[in-house]
Order: sequence, then C-alpha cells, then structure tokens
Amino acid sequence: MNILDLLTKIDRRIIYLVLLVVVILPLLFPKAQSTRVMLPVEKLFNAVENIPEEKALIIDFDYAPQTQPELEPMGFALLRHVFKRRIKLLVLSLYIQPLGLAQNALTRIVEEFNSVAETNADSIIYGRDYVFLGWVPPPIIPILGMGESITNVYEVDYYGNRTDTLLLMRDIKNYNDVELLVSLSGADPPKYWVAYAQNKFGLKVGAGITAVSASEYYTFLQTGQFSGLLVGMKGAAEYEELVEQRLDIKVKRKASEALLSITYAHLVMIAFIIIGNVGYFMRRRQK
Amino acid sequence: MNLSPDPWIWIASLLSLAIFSFLYRDNSFYRLAEHIFVGAANGWAVTFYWHRVLWPYLFDPLSRGQLYYIIPLVIGMLYFTRFIPKVSWLVRFPIGIYMGYYVGVSIPANIQAYIIKQVQGTILTPRNFQMWGAGSTGIIWSVVLFVGVICTLSYFYFSREHKGALGVTSRIGIVFVMMGFGAAFGYTVMARVSLLIGRLQFLLGPWLGIIE
Repeated sequence: MNILDLLTKIDRRIIYLVLLVVVILPLLFPKAQSTRVMLPVEKLFNAVENIPEEKALIIDFDYAPQTQPELEPMGFALLRHVFKRRIKLLVLSLYIQPLGLAQNALTRIVEEFNSVAETNADSIIYGRDYVFLGWVPPPIIPILGMGESITNVYEVDYYGNRTDTLLLMRDIKNYNDVELLVSLSGADPPKYWVAYAQNKFGLKVGAGITAVSASEYYTFLQTGQFSGLLVGMKGAAEYEELVEQRLDIKVKRKASEALLSITYAHLVMIAFIIIGNVGYFMRRRQK
Repeated sequence: MNLSPDPWIWIASLLSLAIFSFLYRDNSFYRLAEHIFVGAANGWAVTFYWHRVLWPYLFDPLSRGQLYYIIPLVIGMLYFTRFIPKVSWLVRFPIGIYMGYYVGVSIPANIQAYIIKQVQGTILTPRNFQMWGAGSTGIIWSVVLFVGVICTLSYFYFSREHKGALGVTSRIGIVFVMMGFGAAFGYTVMARVSLLIGRLQFLLGPWLGIIE
C-alpha cells in the first residue's frame, strides 16, 4: 500500500477508534472548562432574569433520549436559575416521549434545592412554586388553547391533580400571566411556539436546540422572534457558566466537562478532512 | 471502579454497547438491541396513548354519558375503513377534516412567522442593525445578510440563463449556499459527538462508576 492509498482509504473503524480515544480521555479526568458566553445565551439568561415577580416562565421539555445529552444540561441549568430566583414555573411537553425526562429533571433539581433548604419558605414546593402540566395532544391544541385558559387545556396535571386546585394556577390564567416560554427541543416545537403562540398572543419565546438545528434557528434570533438561544452542548456550557458566575451555584457542570472532548473530536475531524483532501489532490495530480 | 448494582443500568449499558457494535460491522447483538428498542418504544407509546389520550379524552366522557363524543369516535374509526376495500373511500372524511382544520390554522401563522418576519429581518433598518448586538459592525453584517439572501435567491432563479448580472449574483449566491452547508456540517459533527459524549458519560458514570 503506497502513501496515497493510506491517505484516501483509511478504514472507517480506525476513524471511529481514534474519535473514541480522544473523546473518552478527557471524560476520564473531568474538569469543567470555562467558556466565553456568547450573546444569544446571554440574551436568554437576561430574559429569564428579568421575569417580573407576578409573571411565570413556561419550560417546554421536548427532548427525547436521542437529544438528551445536549438538551438535558440546558434544562438543569435553566431549572437552577428559575428556582434560585423563585420564578413561577410551569413545565410541559408537547410530545409523550420527553415526559419521563422532564419529570426526572424536575425531581433532581428540586431535590438539589430542598436538600439545603432550612424552612418551608426556602423549599421548592409543588403547586406553590412550580406545576408540571404534562402533555395534551396534538401540539397545536395546548399552544393555542393556553392563550385562552391554561386550566381548561390542562384540566389535570401530570400527576392527576386538578390544576384549578393548585395554588400557583390561581395567579396564572393564560399567556397574559406568562412572561417567557423556553422550548428545549431537537425538532420543530420552538417554531410552533413562534408561529402560533407568539403571532397570536405575543408570547416571548426562547429556545434551547441541538447543534444540528442551529443554522435553521439562528434566523429566528436575528429577527427578534427568539428572546435568546442556546445551541448544543456549547450553549448549555455557556448557560452553566452564567449560572455559576452570576447566581453562585456551584454544582457539577456536565456540559462544561464535555467541552474538551468536543474540541479534540473537532480537531480529529479537521485532521481527517485535510488528510482525505491532500490524498485526493495528490492522486488527481498523478493522473 | 464501582460497578452499578442496578439491573436496569446494566440492561441500558449492554444495549448501548450492542448498538455501538454496529460501528465494527452488522451483527446479531446490534439487531437484537434494535428490535428491543422498536418493540419497547411502540408498546410504551400504545399504552401511553390509551391511558393519556383515548381513555381521558374519549372513553371516560362517553362512560359518563356525554354521548356527543360518539361523533369524534366515529370520525376517528373511519380511518380503519382503509383496510376494507369496498368502503375504503370513507377514509377521506377524517383526512379531509384534519387537513381542513390544520391548513386553516397553519397557513396564516406560517406565512407570518416564517416569511413576513424573516423578510422584515432582512431589510436594512436601524432596528435590524442593532439585532446583531455588534455595535456599528451590525450594519456590515446586515448588508452581508442582505446580499447573501438576494444572491442565493438569484441562484435558484431558473427561468433565465445565468449570464451577465444574474450570472454574477448566482455565483456569489452559491458561495453563501456552500458556507451554509459548511456551517450545518460543522454543527452536525458537534451534535453527533455530543451524543457520543452523553452515552460515554453514562457508561463511565452510572454503570462503571469510574467518574462521578
């Protein structure tokens, strides 16, 4: 095998193996990487930070296992921000798959806060501080219906409680009582919220999306249709950075720990692309 | 190393490894994991739809005497006429009702959100300059965006041969298209590597107990 064959016919399994090594090594010695916070993330953080006391935030957890690694750290960081600032919170999913993951995120972060709470007022209490509305199909029904009445659309919450009996829901009737909605999704839900809830009811929308959808969604940020945007693991790491710096919450930062692996993986990909192109052009010159 | 005693963690980890084994070559472990996934996902979805949709929104109201729920039940059941060739034309009713509703709701919303607002965002206005959050360079980025949109649209104008001014703009347009593809590919790499990282964090953490 000559050098050209070596450059242009690298076995894909060798590429996988090299990628695996460079990704796994930084994970074995995890250290949260500090990262520069970009404007889209800062905008979303500020939008959450500036929610008035009487208004609520809705988080639409719409990630499934296949997008969980990128979007779950965003969900955790957002929940920490919301609970630290005692912002009224409604949680929902537009699809069934994410429900379990949403419940898992809520349980985990609520326990995190309650484990250090000293009084009832310090604690995060279901029904008083947050409500998990659950899921009503199809997506367009809750998106439009909540503009009129949230409790009419979600008559019972995820756990089967009547929503009109919950303390928090006495103050939150419809989108007029909601300042911002953040949709965490690897697919179209952020666009649905813009097209239906924002156009018809003027609801402010922010989004946390997977990196693969970034180029599709940046246009919504530039037009002002999104109040802020988190993109992929990097966006999650930036939000973690803000939560640690500005809210003084020091916890394990899963997305920030993954940044080094992403950097090395990108360098390997760039190296293989260069190798492949050099091989291609050398072969073409030979012909 | 602190191996998990939880059998569900073991099942999840072994299934992950079975799926990863496809990277070497197709094998029976991969196919087993794939079939388990499809079966479990479908079983879960059917159960969930029964408990969270059909029962609370249809059969429960019917059982409480709200007989007008028979109308959506009948309309929904018409979908199954597709399996009976003689009356399969009846399936057009539920499809027509659904399409009529959905098209009526979505066309105005989509035009407003995805066309009018996007066109507004492309026009060179002081508000759009500020949206970049880049100070005075916001003007430059807005002009780049404007030129990019016009040139890319001209590339997809096929009613005239790409010569003269149209040839120049379409060639500039293809440069923007290629940059868009490059950015999308770069983001795709990041997304896929992130998925790998997520799975490895699970295998190294909850399963093997090597990391926290």
